[in-house]
Amino acid sequence: MTLLELHGVETYYGESHVLEGVTLSVEEGEVVALVGRNGVGKTTTLRSILQLTPPREGSVTYRGEELVGLGTHEVADRGVGWIPEDRRIFSQLSVAENVRVSVPDGRDTEAALTMAYDTFPVLDERRDQEAGTLSGGQQQMLSLARGLVGENALLLVDEPSEGLAPQIVADVADALNDAAKETTLLLVEQNLPLALDLADRFYVLDKGRVVDDGDTAEVSADDERLRRFLSA
Amino acid sequence: MTDPTVLTELTALALQAGFVDGLTDFLGPSNLASVVVEGLAKSAIYVMIASGLTLIFGLMGVLNFAHGSLTMIGAYLAGVVMVVLVGNATGQWTRMAFFFGALVVVFIALAFLGGVMEIGLIRELYTRPPIYQILLTFGLTLVLEETVRIVVQFYGLQPISEWQGALGTKPAFMATEHSLGPLSVRGLAAFEILLGLATVAAIWAFLTRTRYGLYIRAGSEDAEMAEALGIDVRRVFTVVFALGAGIAGVAGALLMWDPVWGASVPLAAETLLPAFVVVIIGGLGTFRGTVAGALVVGMADATTTWWFQNVFITWTWLPEMAVFLILVGMLVVKPQGLYGVEEVGGH
Repeated sequence: MTLLELHGVETYYGESHVLEGVTLSVEEGEVVALVGRNGVGKTTTLRSILQLTPPREGSVTYRGEELVGLGTHEVADRGVGWIPEDRRIFSQLSVAENVRVSVPDGRDTEAALTMAYDTFPVLDERRDQEAGTLSGGQQQMLSLARGLVGENALLLVDEPSEGLAPQIVADVADALNDAAKETTLLLVEQNLPLALDLADRFYVLDKGRVVDDGDTAEVSADDERLRRFLSA
Repeated sequence: MTDPTVLTELTALALQAGFVDGLTDFLGPSNLASVVVEGLAKSAIYVMIASGLTLIFGLMGVLNFAHGSLTMIGAYLAGVVMVVLVGNATGQWTRMAFFFGALVVVFIALAFLGGVMEIGLIRELYTRPPIYQILLTFGLTLVLEETVRIVVQFYGLQPISEWQGALGTKPAFMATEHSLGPLSVRGLAAFEILLGLATVAAIWAFLTRTRYGLYIRAGSEDAEMAEALGIDVRRVFTVVFALGAGIAGVAGALLMWDPVWGASVPLAAETLLPAFVVVIIGGLGTFRGTVAGALVVGMADATTTWWFQNVFITWTWLPEMAVFLILVGMLVVKPQGLYGVEEVGGH
């Protein structure tokens, strides 16, 4: 079943035309990677889905429902979560408060905290610490935990390995692998081996357009098919 | 003929002697305690008039120039409620009960007005540069002040001396001084401190112990991220604006009873200026900073008032100048204030 579908999405920042007719789809239970060089519109695609930067043309449907025109919180209420590129944890809130604020109304907050701490035990040790004082890796774990406890059917994950030490990247990959067992993921990732390892399918974006797509089983990280779009 | 050098030395010696005498007096337990109590009372007033302003700026990035007008309307409304309700009731506890009833009425009315202002006017301007919000709220100040002026003149509530009837609704224990050992405390000052503490505790508990408070703190830091987590930040904006307006009104209700302030149209400007001083010293947008800023300004005001009344010369504007000197010093040394961050405002 198709969970998410973008059709002819045209998105602008002011007069700057960033997405030029992006069309892609994500099936329920899949992990789909969105790859491409810096500045080709990967993050803007995620922002267009969330209606943070609403498309001027085209459609974004989730479980068959049009998202264009909804508020971002309404998109989130429908089960679309976001783990942003620059973590964007609430630095003045404690670790526990960052997790709590991510739990939808009416859900079991204590169970969500337990889940977050089981996934990333270091967060349990620092539950009362101000989140802004965590290391970069710990902040990324908190950002992931915040996305995971939201009980989302679709998680939009933006550059989860960016700027992290290799050991932390491995932890993050494990957490995403676990999440993928229960959640559909649309993953933006510059680390191609990681993206191909996690994803079932991929889309390549170039200059605001989808220029290639396929199964990750068909390609490798040094495949000429990908390299021509990914090398600077 | 007197040698000018000798004259200068004599003047310096006299000033030094005066200062030493003043310092000895100031550090006497009775005077020091009295200054601390007066300082806390002033701090309580400042924290109440500045809290709403800082909550609104912290979450929404809106500098609400109409904040003082809301305080002024709160003062008049509380006065009307007290004059109408108290009537012949003479028991001081009855008057206290009516006052708390007036507080509830003022809070609800001003919160409603604030909510209408946010939804009807300010919401349209979030995507515009801040100057639009400043011009709008400044314009609102003029409209609200003139509206109140027309109403109070129509009903004969002005001149101010006539309006002071509302002051007569004060319970007797607030109008007199009370002895606590060597310390003499004004009843109204003690009440202001208690109400200020209760307001700070209530806001603090709301922000840190409720789910909505958590949404407000998250939205203050990053409104876009909060929205992406499913929080309806627009609704939170409306609630915070209403809350800020309600608190401004409650501050006005308290000022209505204070003969230094009273209920008058100029109260709008008279409260807006110190509110801005407090939030700038504390750090724009942080409640903790506002409490600290109010303490600094209140204590500085009380201390300099004592010095100018008892040691130097009695010029009422001099303590005010000392407060503004602290503001200038803060802007030079730490422009973001005691607890402020370099950039605030959720959108």
